[in-house]
Amino acid sequence: MEHKHINKKHYEESFEEQEMRLWKRRLWGAWVFAAPIAILMILERFFEIMPFGELTSLVILMIGFPVIFFFGWGTIKSGIRGFISFYFSMDSLIALGTIIAYATGILAFFIDVQDYSGVSAMIMAIFIAGKYIETKARGKASQEIKKLLELGAKKARVLRGKEEVEIPINEVKIDDIIVIRPGEKIPTDGIITKGQSAVDESMITGESMPVEKKIKDTVIGATINQDGILYVKATKIGSDTFLAHIITLVEEAQGTKVPIQKVADKVTNIFVPAILVLTILTFIGWAVFSGDWSKALGASISVLVIACPCALGLAVPIALTVGSGMGAKRGILIRKGEAIQTMKEVKTVAFDKTGTITKGKPEVTNFISKVKEDYFWEVAGSLEHLSEHPIAKAIVAKAPLKNYKKFTSFSVVRGRGLEGKLGNKKIVIGNRTLMNEKNISFRTIEQQIKSWEEEGKTTMIVAENSKVIGAVAVADAVKDDSIKAIGALKRRGYKTVMITGDNETTAKAIAKQVGIDEVIANVLPEEKAKKVEELQNRGMVAFVGDGINDAPALKQSNVSIAMGSGSDIAIEVGDIVLVKGSLIGVVQAINLSKATFKKIKQNLFWAFGYNIIAIPLAVAGVLNPIVAELAMALSSISVVTNANLLRRKKI
Amino acid sequence: MKKFKITIQGMHCASCAGNVERSLKKVQGVKNVSVSLMTNKSIVEVEDNVSEEALKQAVSRTGYKAVEIQTG
Repeated sequence: MEHKHINKKHYEESFEEQEMRLWKRRLWGAWVFAAPIAILMILERFFEIMPFGELTSLVILMIGFPVIFFFGWGTIKSGIRGFISFYFSMDSLIALGTIIAYATGILAFFIDVQDYSGVSAMIMAIFIAGKYIETKARGKASQEIKKLLELGAKKARVLRGKEEVEIPINEVKIDDIIVIRPGEKIPTDGIITKGQSAVDESMITGESMPVEKKIKDTVIGATINQDGILYVKATKIGSDTFLAHIITLVEEAQGTKVPIQKVADKVTNIFVPAILVLTILTFIGWAVFSGDWSKALGASISVLVIACPCALGLAVPIALTVGSGMGAKRGILIRKGEAIQTMKEVKTVAFDKTGTITKGKPEVTNFISKVKEDYFWEVAGSLEHLSEHPIAKAIVAKAPLKNYKKFTSFSVVRGRGLEGKLGNKKIVIGNRTLMNEKNISFRTIEQQIKSWEEEGKTTMIVAENSKVIGAVAVADAVKDDSIKAIGALKRRGYKTVMITGDNETTAKAIAKQVGIDEVIANVLPEEKAKKVEELQNRGMVAFVGDGINDAPALKQSNVSIAMGSGSDIAIEVGDIVLVKGSLIGVVQAINLSKATFKKIKQNLFWAFGYNIIAIPLAVAGVLNPIVAELAMALSSISVVTNANLLRRKKI
Repeated sequence: MKKFKITIQGMHCASCAGNVERSLKKVQGVKNVSVSLMTNKSIVEVEDNVSEEALKQAVSRTGYKAVEIQTG
């Protein structure tokens, strides 16, 4: 990615912060002058006291001037520019409203018209206050994303020859060896070449438990090394890192539209010109029918300043921002705003099996041993250690040994098992077929083996000198949270389906274990999408898969949820991407989508409702322009604040 | 097809974002525009012959400022 800084200084200082400072200065400045005006106006209106007598209007005009034309200059300038370029914004309305109101103060010296100059200063001061509060709340809404942006390490300590040199992060190159001490941030994505440690990955995956890492394991940049020194070879840098991908994804997602937003966007786009037309009509209407110019001006100013495109335009994006930020914090990346809306129509949640419900690699689930357990694993582990088969690896992983026994001979019996010689003992490990071929009786454990097989597990029998000494059951074990997650989905009324290429027995066994309603087994990878299509006859389907083999099925589904594990996530597919490979994420994603969509609807209802009620009131001339401006400021603040309240929701 | 990410300064209301979006869409060769008021960023998909300068101008035409343009 090429970076081009047009205005580097500003960017480094974060122009958002700069803008906040600017609004703050305007806020204070405007109110220093507006407050005395407010006091003068209250004294005059309610107590009929005019400290400056005849000169009061002149004093207000003078104090009001800096409020509008100095502290409000940004708004006035941008508003006038709108009239020149025909790109109208909120500022055009405020600028016109305040200038007209201010002008009445001057006109009042010459003709008989109500003096709105005090009102004008109040409008600007309230507008600035409203903007300040709104900008602040908007910053809060995107706080999670800002945290992500700040998450990356700034420096890295790399090995140069034998020396450790600290260099800025952007000078790290692929294949550099980085040294990370306990408590330090891992600077970039890499693979461990030396050392072991627990790594806190919560900032990326949302997983609160530290993950144990050893040689050859991958680590993610921005995670924290906790207790050991790690030597990591950099594999990805800069914009290729996992963190950079997540940030891009979240940022892009916030630019996507939720379908319900379309109406609001259309209204927002024509809003300001429409209000300008309405203002003219209001003025003409009042002038013609009542003949009261003062009333006509008051009503027109009210219309100008009460109209609030911000509440409308912000209603959806701000809720989406808060929602997606909350998700990102928990390792749930919402890629498309549309998913939030579609989610509420989903009736069926379909799962891939391997790697989604299960861990995706075999592990030892049960065993029986007729000899001392240590000895059993020593024998089994030492023989299996010689094989590269996934089942062998599972057995070795179950009981890792420091020193493996030396076998004098070793051979693989294809599809059946292994045999080898350990001193004068002949060891055979394999399935039923192998035992039968070798005439080894396993009657004593037959019952046990059978029950394992019914659960869809693969059984390996261990024999020493033609006598069975035990057996091991190996299966693609269910992930820790799968049962809980599927239970939660069912309680929420979703139908759960598992689509898998496995045979019926294995599939059903797993389905039973986790509580899946329906099993579609023996499905070829290319048929998965078709099965999803069939399920869609019953209503919308969310498909949960690993994103690598399941891409077509994900694409076919109404809401696609791609599961990742560690640093390998298929980021290009999936409306929602789960960083952490736990199914609980699916439940959370559904909860989050529903909560966010609810907020979106509330916000839209409020924003539309506000404008529909407030604008006619202003046209009718029943609202004082100050009240109108106050209502406008409050309406956009309330939308933004309401969105921030989403955070209180437990996901 | 190229993709630009433009950081825009000065947008402070929903109409602003709409204006920038409208202006960018008018640039010849621009396929897809999204402007986010929340991130102050715009993601623009354009044909290869569209220059950064043209996009920058489209932003400033509406009264805002393109602070940074990234390709990617």
